[in-house]
Amino acid sequence: MQPRRPPPPIPGSGPWGPRPVAPLIALLLLLAPVVAAAESESAEHPGQPQDAGLQRRLLQQAARAALHFFNFRAGSPSALRVLAQVQKGRAWINPKEGYKVDVVFSTERYNPESLLQEGEEHLGKCSARVFFKNQKPRPAVNVTCTRFIEKKKRQQEDYLLYKQMKQLKNPLEIVSIPDNHGHIDPSLRPIWDLAFLGSSYVMWEMTTQFSRYYLVQLTSVRQWKTNDDTIDFDYTVLLHELSTQEIIPCRIHLVWYPGKPLKVKYHCQELQTPEEASGTEEGSAVAPTELSNF
Amino acid sequence: DQVFRINVRNGDEISKLSQLVNSNNLKLNVWKSPSTFSRPVDVLVPSVSLQPVKSFLTSQGLEYEVTIEDLQALLDNEDEEMQQNEGQERSSNNFNYGAYHSLEAIYHEMDNIASDFPDLASRVKIGHSFENRPMYVLKFSTEEGVRRPAIWLNAGIHSREWISQATAIWTARKIASDYQRDPAITSILEKMDIFLLPVANPDGYVYTQTQNRLWRKTRSLNPGSPCVGADPNRNWNASFAGKGASDNPCSEVYHGPHANSEVEVKSVVDFIQKHGNFKCFIDLHSYSQLLMYPYGYTAKKAPDAEELDKLARRAAKALASVSGTEYQVGPTSTTVYPASGSSIDWAYDNGIKFAFTFELRDTGTYGFLLPANQIIPTAEETWLGLKTIMEHVRHNLY
Repeated sequence: MQPRRPPPPIPGSGPWGPRPVAPLIALLLLLAPVVAAAESESAEHPGQPQDAGLQRRLLQQAARAALHFFNFRAGSPSALRVLAQVQKGRAWINPKEGYKVDVVFSTERYNPESLLQEGEEHLGKCSARVFFKNQKPRPAVNVTCTRFIEKKKRQQEDYLLYKQMKQLKNPLEIVSIPDNHGHIDPSLRPIWDLAFLGSSYVMWEMTTQFSRYYLVQLTSVRQWKTNDDTIDFDYTVLLHELSTQEIIPCRIHLVWYPGKPLKVKYHCQELQTPEEASGTEEGSAVAPTELSNF
Repeated sequence: DQVFRINVRNGDEISKLSQLVNSNNLKLNVWKSPSTFSRPVDVLVPSVSLQPVKSFLTSQGLEYEVTIEDLQALLDNEDEEMQQNEGQERSSNNFNYGAYHSLEAIYHEMDNIASDFPDLASRVKIGHSFENRPMYVLKFSTEEGVRRPAIWLNAGIHSREWISQATAIWTARKIASDYQRDPAITSILEKMDIFLLPVANPDGYVYTQTQNRLWRKTRSLNPGSPCVGADPNRNWNASFAGKGASDNPCSEVYHGPHANSEVEVKSVVDFIQKHGNFKCFIDLHSYSQLLMYPYGYTAKKAPDAEELDKLARRAAKALASVSGTEYQVGPTSTTVYPASGSSIDWAYDNGIKFAFTFELRDTGTYGFLLPANQIIPTAEETWLGLKTIMEHVRHNLY
């Protein structure tokens, strides 16, 4: 599959004005707004595997941050998406402020049991602008995605999940999902999906241009209350941060009801560092604004 | 027999409890004694003493709960399960390659492969771990007494990456069974030896099975620190203590006090150096679906980068041909992250040109907790990637 290459941008004319003299670090990474080709090829950049690799990583970081944010804002445990492929993008580095990345990527449905459903759109496409403020949390994300599932169908599936969750016998006895051998009991899938949704918020906030997070396991459920109009879920997950290889326990408290914005509070702890490093962040979804095309 | 959990809230209650425990005729057994007042005490109470103990506790106002109602049943159940598993594995001599196994079971299967293919395979002890477990490799050789050019396949150096050990033991059986059946592997083995280390970090592996599924490092003790272990893939003598490693024993990428401080790493280094004729070193990890070559410790291009890149791309293509699994290819430092003290960088800088790291399935959906039903598909596709590399080495011996 041949990558599509947009015309190269005019150097020095980015929105941040003329390029400042870049310190050594920035020079090692990217020199000017660079156009990235699709992941799967290398024939276009035979002599620069390093540049292409770095470029690719930055675009992937941005795509991931955008997708975490998207999943969180959608507030829909039955419609979670994961990154399929980065297709194209470009990045601007301002050493004083941060990294700005435009990226186009495809997604697929998050379904760990990986059985394709009949007649369902397998791939969806998103484009995003992500701004990583120099190693500060909460990358600014502006993301638009093509419609994956019809709004009505999505609402129906969410409501179905909600009903399943209300019928769960005693989630407080859960030890871990998945278990140590990667297995998720089908009856517990709804809990896992909801946990993933809450974790998306956390992972969005914590993603920087260098650190990326994956959800490993749900390790305990402290509270599980299903009232008539909400599910109140207080739980602990383990996140894996790739560049440090650390496992980070996060306690997450969310309140959810199909169709309503998700409310999340969390506290993550880094155990392995000598300093008492613990991040306390509180975030809650604002009233649903113009959510990009569903 | 039952297990009682008794709450002791003060010194008075502790002495009352000691009174009870010390009375000979009740034959009580303390499982967990208190270190402070607010911790409960677990006591094993034989069935004959249940009544008197309950009466005593109640009369003395000691709070308790029965945590295990029938100890014997619990033990019987566990026994049965373990026996079933072991029975399945030994009776039909059918090691289930589509499942994750204990260290013991893997070592046992290595032994089985050696006895099933005595003219090809032998199990060799190359050293021991920090906690004194043996380090076994399988040596595949079609001609003894000669130090042929050799290939080293390394797996399980990071213990939580279970798909690595599982793929390795499958590959061991595959190499043995396909010799004289598959022209490619036969041709390779006619000129070269293959050494396969399925569990490069045995202590870590056991720890992931018994205590913490997500343990990564070795289990060596760090004097002066409560934190255990060093990252064995930051411990090799290749820009040791450089970028992408930590000097903090509590870090997951702690490089250790000095290069080769980890006995597990030293055992491999000593073996390879003593042998002196290795041409290829491949290290299996998970996850991310990447196929990488040196360097990790610098962004500078390795002298053979172009050839390694081309070969890696061919291998990734062969791998993808099985189930469509896509791997990204490139040098370590820019493909995943800068990392000093890594195995393949050391191998490369020590004259082993064909040095590669595989980060196996998946890309984050399950990550380390890859379900067992993906073991065989992963092993089968990885095999094609490995063969591509080994074939190239065989035809480009230097």
